[in-house]
Amino acid sequence: MKGTYLGEFEEIVLLAVAILAGGAYGAAITNEIEQQMGRTVNLGAVHAALHRLEEKGLVASQMGGATKERGGRRKRFFLVTAPGIKALKNIRQVRNQMWDDIPRPAGA
Amino acid sequence: MKDDQRIKPPKWANKLLHLFCASHLVEEIEGDLHELFEERVQYAGEQKARFRYIIDVFSLIRPFAIKEKESLYPKPPLFQQAMLKNNFKIAFRNLWKHRTFSFINVTGLSVGMSACFLIAMYVHFELTYDAFNKKADRIYRLATDLKTPSETLNYSISSWAFAPNLKNEFPEVEAFTRLATRNYLVRKGDLKFKEEKTVFADSSLYEVFDFVLIKGNPQTALKGQMSVVFTEKTAKKYFADADPMGQTLLLGDEGIPAIVTGVMQDLPANSQIKGDIFVSMSSYTQRFNKGVDENWGDFGAITYLLLKPGADPGKFSTKFPAFLENHAGKMMREQQMKISLIMEPLLDVYLHSAREAEESGNISNVYIFSVVAIFILLIACINFVNLTTARSVERAREVGVRKAVGAPRSVLTRQFIIESVLLCLIAFVFAVLLSAISIPFFNELSGKIISNGVIESMPFVGGLFIVAVLIGCIAGIYPAFVLSSFDPVVVLKGRFSTSAKGIMLRKGLVTAQFSISIALIIATIVVYTQVDFMRSRDLGFSKDQMLVISAETGAKRNAFQESLLSLSGVKSTAASTRVPGSKSNQAYSEMENVKGEMQTGNLEVYSVDFNFIQQFGLKVVAGRTFSKSFGSDSSKALVINEAAAKMLGYQAPQEAVGKKYKQWGREGVIIGVVKDFHFKSLQENITPLTFRFLDWWNGNQVSVKISGGNFKNTLASIENQWKLQNPDRPFSYYFMDEFFDRQYGSDERFEKLFFDFSILAIFISCLGLLGLASYTTTQRTKEIGVRKVMGASTGSIVRLLS
Repeated sequence: MKGTYLGEFEEIVLLAVAILAGGAYGAAITNEIEQQMGRTVNLGAVHAALHRLEEKGLVASQMGGATKERGGRRKRFFLVTAPGIKALKNIRQVRNQMWDDIPRPAGA
Repeated sequence: MKDDQRIKPPKWANKLLHLFCASHLVEEIEGDLHELFEERVQYAGEQKARFRYIIDVFSLIRPFAIKEKESLYPKPPLFQQAMLKNNFKIAFRNLWKHRTFSFINVTGLSVGMSACFLIAMYVHFELTYDAFNKKADRIYRLATDLKTPSETLNYSISSWAFAPNLKNEFPEVEAFTRLATRNYLVRKGDLKFKEEKTVFADSSLYEVFDFVLIKGNPQTALKGQMSVVFTEKTAKKYFADADPMGQTLLLGDEGIPAIVTGVMQDLPANSQIKGDIFVSMSSYTQRFNKGVDENWGDFGAITYLLLKPGADPGKFSTKFPAFLENHAGKMMREQQMKISLIMEPLLDVYLHSAREAEESGNISNVYIFSVVAIFILLIACINFVNLTTARSVERAREVGVRKAVGAPRSVLTRQFIIESVLLCLIAFVFAVLLSAISIPFFNELSGKIISNGVIESMPFVGGLFIVAVLIGCIAGIYPAFVLSSFDPVVVLKGRFSTSAKGIMLRKGLVTAQFSISIALIIATIVVYTQVDFMRSRDLGFSKDQMLVISAETGAKRNAFQESLLSLSGVKSTAASTRVPGSKSNQAYSEMENVKGEMQTGNLEVYSVDFNFIQQFGLKVVAGRTFSKSFGSDSSKALVINEAAAKMLGYQAPQEAVGKKYKQWGREGVIIGVVKDFHFKSLQENITPLTFRFLDWWNGNQVSVKISGGNFKNTLASIENQWKLQNPDRPFSYYFMDEFFDRQYGSDERFEKLFFDFSILAIFISCLGLLGLASYTTTQRTKEIGVRKVMGASTGSIVRLLS
């Protein structure tokens, strides 16, 4: 099913949207990811991921008002929806569970 | 804002983005791109920022960005039924409203199209000669070049012995057939006809060519001696509806009985092989002309070879010289001649071979007619474009209203193209009808059965349909774009008038049209004068008031001639083997040349009686002609023409008189030289010619010179005489002038066809001009009205308009 699986990059984008809390739009998300992860990200990849997340219902978007910034072009702001938060939590829980299952001696 | 000073992202990448990106996404995405670009310029430098910008744009070429969001309102599909219906309705109304213009348009187009249709059929007919034979690509005509010290003859015929021996010696040859056409008397009970197209053919005729036998066995029909195959048409002539199989008829003057062993379908019109009666070749080689099969020097049959699949004709023909040397080497050296064989592919023979043939086409005629067809069509199309654009002003308002209520340009363009296609299709229907009516005339004009009717030429009709639709689209494109480009504001304000550019274009097109027509007229005049020249040029002999009768030979003929002389109206008679314009016939001759050697050559030969040279008005330039006062003339004398004297190297014709000659078993001296005359068509050079005296067994052409007066009566009494003396033979005759001019038949037909099509072209362009002129007149109705009110006379207005 489309709604259930979350790819690695999608997860990162979703996290970035959550971090930016209300101020998340294409350029800001790109910058956030680049800073947090220290790697370059293509805008196209970010937009594609946002598009998929929206299709899955994990984020919702709304056009912002016109501002003087960027030549008057409007921004599209993204917010994490309740199912999005649930998905993030779920992933974290699964990860934690797996970490916990690693046998002690091997990890030291 | 001081945006201008800022560094800007690469323009082309931005354009690319706008090109592919969906309209609802482009704003936010472009904003993001620009924001990132500005940031990056600050902390990474311009170059890097540009690079990243471009990468980002390319990374956005993804399905989600390209896909347009579905509109809130349903988009009207381009081809909505209702809209199309409306288009057609408007188109019909428009055509009906402007009846005159529609009529001119449709007439011009349909006449042009049907002319094209006919020419296309003609061209196709010419190009597919003999192509109905399934093995045509493997069939070759074996032609001969004969070289003697005097000349080189390019024969289309070959020796009787070639083909059978080639087949025996070379595995490449699958089959061969020899054809020799003769004029034979055929009798069946009371019915008797001279069959001009009696063809002797080898039994393998049906193996090489795809002629269909309706009755009889193709393998054996032409095998036995004196077996005959009729074509359907001929069979009907002799047997009506009775079964001809196994019937006996009498062949030739001697009346040798022959048995009908088959009936074949009439030969296709585009077959080079023509024939009404086919007689087994064995009757000829073993009976009529026994031993001809072994004579390597007797050229008389057209030979067709069928090569095995995969055999290389080029390689095969390299074996010919050795083959000829082997069989005919001795003969060739004795007679100082050199034979070489040439294989001509069957499909090229009709259009490309220059050798003598019963019927031959001309590839340049085919090209000329194709060009004429294209010209005619072009003229018709120009008419169409002109009339449509000229009328565009009237429809400007319609376009304005349509645009104002929201018609996009594409819909308007479509509407106008539909209109023009519709017009073309109407023209197409008329063109097909017109062609159907004119096909019989065209057949007659071209002298061939090009088509039996439209029904049988369905592929052409289909082709014409496609052409019609294409013309509609092409001719409609220009008006469509002009009309649909009108600015509704200007048009609706009523300030619209035709642009100077449009008028220039129209004038240019009309000029082009008339230059084409004038070129055609000039070409017609040239062709006409050429043909006229050939008809009226002095040929060097008199052909007027001369009747030629196919008679018998020997004493019977003499008696007939005698009896004719007693008739009033008959001036003189002469007997000969041939008359000017007959097929050529050559004799191997040796003659003493200027160096005193006996020069050999194959020369044209006429066997004539005492009267011939005088009756045909030939001028004797040296020596004398045959005369009864010299007893030896009938067996020893030879008269030559100037060309022959020149060939032998004599400067003056007098020198040739008294020189020795040898020809066909006769030896003697040349007694006279006649002035050159055109005994063949004017297009051919005058070649050396010899006159010898008749043998007792030949000279069946009796020429009768008639002196004016009551021509019909004279002819009737001649016929009576004939019937009296030859009750069992048909009276067949022809007029000398008609017979000779028959050689120009194809030229005359060409002239006529060309003339007719030029007239058509001019007619169509005049039609177009008429349309334009009447249109401008209606445009100026107001002006004329004002002028009249002010006192202008009708005359001055006519002057103004013309």
